Amino acid sequence: MSDWLSTFPGYRQALTTAKRAFGRFIQTGPTPKHVGIIMDGNRRYAKNHKIEIKEGHNLGFDSMANVLEILYESGVKCASVYAFSIENFRRSSLEVKWLMDLAKSKFQQINQHSDLCAEYGIRIKIIGNKKLIPPDVAKILQQTEEITKDNKRALLNICFPYTSRDEMTNSIKCAVDQSTIDHDFVIDEDTLESLFYTHDAPPLDLLVRTSGTFRLSDFLLWQCVSPDCSIVFVDKLWPAFTPFDMAKILFNWGFNMYWYGKGNGYSTTQISTKNFNLAEYDSNVDLNDATGSSGFQRFASSESEEAEDEDDVVTEESSQSGGVDELDTVTSEEESDSNKKGR
Amino acid sequence: NMTSSKLSDHVRNDNNTSTSLVDISADVGPSGQNSYQSESLQHPPNTIRGKTWYDVSRDLINDFRHKQMDESTSAYSSIIFYANHLVLLSLFFMISIYKNVNYLYRKMVLKFYTLTYYPNKSPQLIRDDVSKLAKIPRVISCILDLKDDDDENGGIDGLIGSISELAAWTVSAGIPHLVIYEYNGVVVENKGNLAQLNRYISKNLAAYFGTDLIPSYAIRIPHHNTVIYSSHTGKTQVNSAERDVDLEIWLLSREDGKPTIVELTKTMSELAQNNELSVNDITIDLIDEELAELVGPEPDLLISFGPSLDLQDYPPWHIRLSEIYWEPENKDVIYAVFIRALQQFSNCKVNVGK
Repeated sequence: MSDWLSTFPGYRQALTTAKRAFGRFIQTGPTPKHVGIIMDGNRRYAKNHKIEIKEGHNLGFDSMANVLEILYESGVKCASVYAFSIENFRRSSLEVKWLMDLAKSKFQQINQHSDLCAEYGIRIKIIGNKKLIPPDVAKILQQTEEITKDNKRALLNICFPYTSRDEMTNSIKCAVDQSTIDHDFVIDEDTLESLFYTHDAPPLDLLVRTSGTFRLSDFLLWQCVSPDCSIVFVDKLWPAFTPFDMAKILFNWGFNMYWYGKGNGYSTTQISTKNFNLAEYDSNVDLNDATGSSGFQRFASSESEEAEDEDDVVTEESSQSGGVDELDTVTSEEESDSNKKGR
Repeated sequence: NMTSSKLSDHVRNDNNTSTSLVDISADVGPSGQNSYQSESLQHPPNTIRGKTWYDVSRDLINDFRHKQMDESTSAYSSIIFYANHLVLLSLFFMISIYKNVNYLYRKMVLKFYTLTYYPNKSPQLIRDDVSKLAKIPRVISCILDLKDDDDENGGIDGLIGSISELAAWTVSAGIPHLVIYEYNGVVVENKGNLAQLNRYISKNLAAYFGTDLIPSYAIRIPHHNTVIYSSHTGKTQVNSAERDVDLEIWLLSREDGKPTIVELTKTMSELAQNNELSVNDITIDLIDEELAELVGPEPDLLISFGPSLDLQDYPPWHIRLSEIYWEPENKDVIYAVFIRALQQFSNCKVNVGK
């Protein structure tokens, strides 16, 4: 059906406008800052639809472009996509060659259309163990990084070739190396995180894996075990994953964040690495920068205040230590008390 | 491998634990003293949800009214903003209705599962369930939550009860390793809790298998490098002080995750500063070996017993290829979730990269 629809003139324009409208709409609530995507299922899709595996990968690339568009419209500052795993080198050399050729042609296109990238403001970074890339592909990828390095609006981390263990090992090696040069070098979790390939990305908020596999497959392991990261497993195969599916996931994440203070949904634990900093809590919401994180905290606190006075909103939260869930339960206990009184 | 044994020893030294395995079975055996005190712990608040429809709609309306903005924005953009926000909030409201219905449905389904999958303290029933599966994991890991004392199965007692049940199911299913991850590590805090745990596991296994055929087990706490053997273990192995057991239980907490990797890095940097280790020697395999020794084996299957998937800072290195399972809206450690996780594991296909 969508194939027939896509033959209409102006279809692309309509889609882009729809994405932009959705983006503006969802940004009035909470949105994730860093989204990771494991693009799994190209080969299975090709097999199911009786097309060549090469075609499957091509369709996968198109799907990625569409999904990235809606992500950036929704205010996501950084997207990390799992393009190629170091383990994938074990595939047949023919398939590896196809994938490398696909990368070469797509990135050459991007290089030639550098004005488009500048218009979107996307900075592309190639993440991973770059020594394993064949030299001709490496040259083109290097050019892409160079051309887009001044774009400020958003960041695209293309993990090619990447495994999380390799990233952690590299970080440990750099830390050990640094400490031999500078004996006072402090090593802690933040230091190791600053030495990751993904060090200039915000903390991971949302990880999406397609093709119904419930595994992490060595992708951003350190970042996604954090209690603030929510992991979503989707049953569809990657080439069949539409921007509408992504929109639903973003909406659900926003809802969970708004309602429960956690992107995952209702949780029985109060663990959160975010420390609620009262000083950052500004009662003026900037229209252009509406993350909506003030939304949930606002209504929870104004609830417990039972005062319509907006200036007093901040005071209630100072007695709680981090974690909006505590506020939630405080109000629910008060509610049940007042309900009892009412009856 | 000389380097690797030295490395783990160094890390353990820095953590102020002994480098040789400490066997505290005697101290915390089932007949041990009961006079240990456990410190009071900050428990999470009550998990009962107390919001009604009225509260929800009132909160949303309040939030909408209270949303302020910068004076300098134009009237047009503020109207657009309010319009969008209103649509968003009303959609959220509709979703909350759907989610509530979904929640009730899932709770009903869970109740149904609890009734159908009820092993009734019988290892044979569990064995029958498991024999229908194509494959079973070698190492199972469970993320447990410490609940508030007022909750059902709450507090440390509830946690210990859950661990004992899991131990019984694991040994009945024929799985040799069980890893328990609890964020705060309350069970390993002091010997009192460990003694209680040991007692309960013995008691529960006796209820399942009968006091004559109770399986042997070992409780390992990698962070403190201690081990507790059940009082019914067989003879010791010839070349080491360690003994063969039917079930190995590993108790992990947050410290076994990222902080242990940091400790390992610090140890390696010290060795490098003394020129005992070169940066080029640090490979994925070396770190894998070290962490396997310091934290335990990689789980094949990871079960989370919370209502939503939250990995709670689980050791990141170990879950590279673990199959992850959780039952939505489920708060308790029930056999239904355990067996459904095993069923999902038996249906999954793993091709590492290929």
